[in-house]
Amino acid sequence: MKMLVVEDEQGLAESITAYLSKEGYRCEMASTYQEADEKLYLYEYDCIIVDLTLPGGDGLQLIETLKKRSASTGIIIISARNALEDRIKGLEVGSDDYLTKPFHLSELNARVKSLIRRRNFGGHNEIQYHEITVQSLSRKVFVKEQETLLSRKEYDLLLYFLSNIDVALTKVSIAEHLWGDHMDSADSLDMVYSHIKNLRRKLIEKGSRDYIRSIYGIGYKFGGA
Amino acid sequence: MRLLEKTNRIYLLFSLSLYVIAAFGMYSIIKWLIYDEVESRLLVEKRDFLVYIHHYDWKQDSYFVENKIEVEPAREPLNFKETFKDTLIQDRYSQKMIPFRQLTFYVPIQQAEHRVAIRKSMIQSHRLIEAITLTMALMLGLLLAGTYWFQNRLSGRIWQPFYDTLSRIKTFDLTQKQKLQLSQPEIIEFSELNEVIQKMSDKILHDYLNLKEFTENASHELQTPLALINAKVEQLIQSEQLTEHQTHWIQTIYEASLRMSRLNQGLLLLARIENRQFINDQIINLSEGLREKLADMEEMMQYKEIQLSLSIESPFMVSLPPMLAESLITNLVSNALRHNVTGGQIQLHASTDWLCLRNTGHPLHNPPGELFSRFKKEGSSSESLGLGLAIVKEICDNYGLQIQYTEVNGMHSFCLRKGH
Repeated sequence: MKMLVVEDEQGLAESITAYLSKEGYRCEMASTYQEADEKLYLYEYDCIIVDLTLPGGDGLQLIETLKKRSASTGIIIISARNALEDRIKGLEVGSDDYLTKPFHLSELNARVKSLIRRRNFGGHNEIQYHEITVQSLSRKVFVKEQETLLSRKEYDLLLYFLSNIDVALTKVSIAEHLWGDHMDSADSLDMVYSHIKNLRRKLIEKGSRDYIRSIYGIGYKFGGA
Repeated sequence: MRLLEKTNRIYLLFSLSLYVIAAFGMYSIIKWLIYDEVESRLLVEKRDFLVYIHHYDWKQDSYFVENKIEVEPAREPLNFKETFKDTLIQDRYSQKMIPFRQLTFYVPIQQAEHRVAIRKSMIQSHRLIEAITLTMALMLGLLLAGTYWFQNRLSGRIWQPFYDTLSRIKTFDLTQKQKLQLSQPEIIEFSELNEVIQKMSDKILHDYLNLKEFTENASHELQTPLALINAKVEQLIQSEQLTEHQTHWIQTIYEASLRMSRLNQGLLLLARIENRQFINDQIINLSEGLREKLADMEEMMQYKEIQLSLSIESPFMVSLPPMLAESLITNLVSNALRHNVTGGQIQLHASTDWLCLRNTGHPLHNPPGELFSRFKKEGSSSESLGLGLAIVKEICDNYGLQIQYTEVNGMHSFCLRKGH
């Protein structure tokens, strides 16, 4: 899986690259419009992550030219511009997703995964992790071939975990993933706790191993198998 | 009242009063002239009479015609004063009362004092006065109407550039980013006015665009380093060798940077609402939006054991940019949830003209209206930024909605109404 991260802020580009590389993607970086344009002309990528404000040009322009050349590349915009017009424009020129800065790397990762799932697997859309199987189209979860009934938020939570295996996830990032970034109160953090408790119970009941570990002071980690 | 209407009204009032005064003055002058003429003729006749009685003896059947002269012995106490007066005497043939001017004087005839009254019919003179006055009044009236009509047309034409400028300013919209185009009238004052307005609007447009650019830049410039901090912290927490202290510090940094980015976003949103940078207004069903958001928060409400009751008689429709409607709904709902108590209630009532969202909570220490100000918080809870209600208020103020916050015995109500 080849990816291109187009971001002029060096530190941020490095973080994204490092994070995604750990997930097994081959990542390249471009920090200017020209560099990105050149790379997109020379190589094929499965997915690109583009900042809209770039030295030397507009990210939207870059997407437009890319779309003309190869329509199959997945595109995620990361921008500090949180205007609806920008979001609409971004989707109009053919991007698949739009993340407003600052974002959680785990959230970006989840979006990349979901995008790749949508692009690659088409109809049969399954995520497998040991004894857990998720059918993302029908939103059904199976443990050892046995269906587990999860609530909407529990399902979203599980999918978020499955997109970020063996990664420490902060409670805030989980809360934001589930309820959007307006729910920043202590209540929503408590809610995260109660949802995780329920999810864990439902998975174990059906015979799954306990994959959710809490990390003191930070949040949770899924995996360790 | 329009400018032209006002000047016309003043002009009309002034010229009408002038017209009345002039007409009255003219009438008096003509009347005086005619009376003067009649009186001087009466005085001549008096001399004729005196000369006559000096040479001849007075007899009642003398040459004077009936009504023209009347001589009788003086009965009243004598005061030998000559007096003029108006009198009415019945016409012999037509039985009409006819106006006369009468000169009365006293003269001794055949050793006895006599009172002599010489009269002249005023009927012709009166007609003359009437005719002259009427003609003059008519002429003056025509003149008045003419000048009024002319003045009306003239000022209408003279003020045309002004109204033109006014209508162009009215249609001028900053958010269209189009310069204001004004004509070059030949009247210097208007031309100067247009120049000044042109300069001003250009400056405003320039500043507006600058501000917009600054808003975007500030947002970008601040969000990027914040994104960087967040990303690095997230990477850092992946490390396995952190001590408990380090974890705590990192967590604090992480929370602080998240808080800062929320603050930044909130303040930028406020600035953008103030600058009216949201333009694509749409008709939005706010009651339905709130209902959906509340349904979305169902789990949160279950968790806090909050009872939800809805009574939507008819949809509450407002015209808002979709993004702001979303922000309004989210802020109201999260406010109702955040400050609620376990086992509390949330009520949504809506009708065509109003919408109320009520929630249970703690009694307020501050006046409710104050909580609409930025960074004004009830208590010192650090989880809320103190911007949510300010954003709600700003949206309402800018899009023709009235919001009222009341609190009675721990029941907090936010009521929205249309119109200012």
